[in-house]
Amino acid sequence: MALKDIKAKIGATKRMHTVTRAMEAVSAVKMRKTQASALSGRSYARAAVAILTRIAGTEEVKKHPLAQEREVKKIALVVMTSDKGLAGALNSGVLKQAALAVKEYRADQVVVYAFGRKGEDYFTNRGYTVAKAYENKRDDIPLSDMETLADDLSAGFLAGSFDKVVVAYTSFKSTFEQIPLQHRLLPLSLPALSEIVEGIVPAKGKWSTEQKLVAPAAYEVEPSADEVLGVLIPRLTAIALYHMLLESKASEHSARMVAMKNASDKSKEVTRDLTRMYNKVRQAAITREVSEIVSGREALAA
Amino acid sequence: MAKTFHLTIARVGDNLFEGQAKSVTVPGAEGVLTILAEHEAFVSPLKPGTIRVEPLEGEATTIVIEENGIVEVSGNQATVLL
Repeated sequence: MALKDIKAKIGATKRMHTVTRAMEAVSAVKMRKTQASALSGRSYARAAVAILTRIAGTEEVKKHPLAQEREVKKIALVVMTSDKGLAGALNSGVLKQAALAVKEYRADQVVVYAFGRKGEDYFTNRGYTVAKAYENKRDDIPLSDMETLADDLSAGFLAGSFDKVVVAYTSFKSTFEQIPLQHRLLPLSLPALSEIVEGIVPAKGKWSTEQKLVAPAAYEVEPSADEVLGVLIPRLTAIALYHMLLESKASEHSARMVAMKNASDKSKEVTRDLTRMYNKVRQAAITREVSEIVSGREALAA
Repeated sequence: MAKTFHLTIARVGDNLFEGQAKSVTVPGAEGVLTILAEHEAFVSPLKPGTIRVEPLEGEATTIVIEENGIVEVSGNQATVLL
């Protein structure tokens, strides 16, 4: 490679390094914020899903329309991805889980609710119906947004537009480990919900140790079972969705931070190698020039 | 010694109360109700109003809530979600 080319390449790599380092710093700040909100939200989410789990075991709920198991003809899929890429294997992990969830169904049997552009693009490109697509730009999404989504899902389930609701999201374990998961949200059932609760383990506090869920046989419900469950189930479902969204957010920023850190490290390494190569080539050119001059002089002297 | 139960009052991203309590008074959908220890399994939506907590130790505190919530009691523990 010519000297000039190497120099240009070093310049380009250095510029890339500044970009990735800046993105790393931005992601690190967002990561800290979203991790804190995901971790502090866990005890709340756990309490909410635990309530949902306990009441799901009672007779009133088994009779509730949202808990009715039907033959699955159509399925609703909620996919929580990021809007932007450059986050390592994060989105492909979620999309893999999502694809796994709908594998048994034809494209026209699936209704997709995409939270984040990556999921929307993936399913639109493959000919699925995307019923609703949300942007996933902000980090402080209000609970009410999830309530709207939960209302949509329950209404669709009750109207028979679909017979099952599955959510694919990323569970946050640590900065270096995020696990893509899928959970069944509707119809409500004890085993499916227990699975979600057991997945929610806060970093510290009362719930950080394993606790068995004991479902009482009957609840005294005030005013009436229908009224209470009508309010309770959509709200608790919304909280469960909100929890999954917070987890996905924390995962996204952690994954991006790590990916950008790797990119920065790599660009540093490449810069070092290229500089070394540049020096070598430069030295070779000097040596060649010197030997040319020397041999020219010798030829003249002879 | 008065009987106590475990009480959790939480809002999204914010734990308002967590610990042993002697009683808690909440604005239920059907009117104000007080929950003591060993209350039977119970679930009800809440209206905006004030929650009064009497903890095991220390002064009783009141929390004003402006949103609807949920109260759930089971196995001698109560959870209030706002």
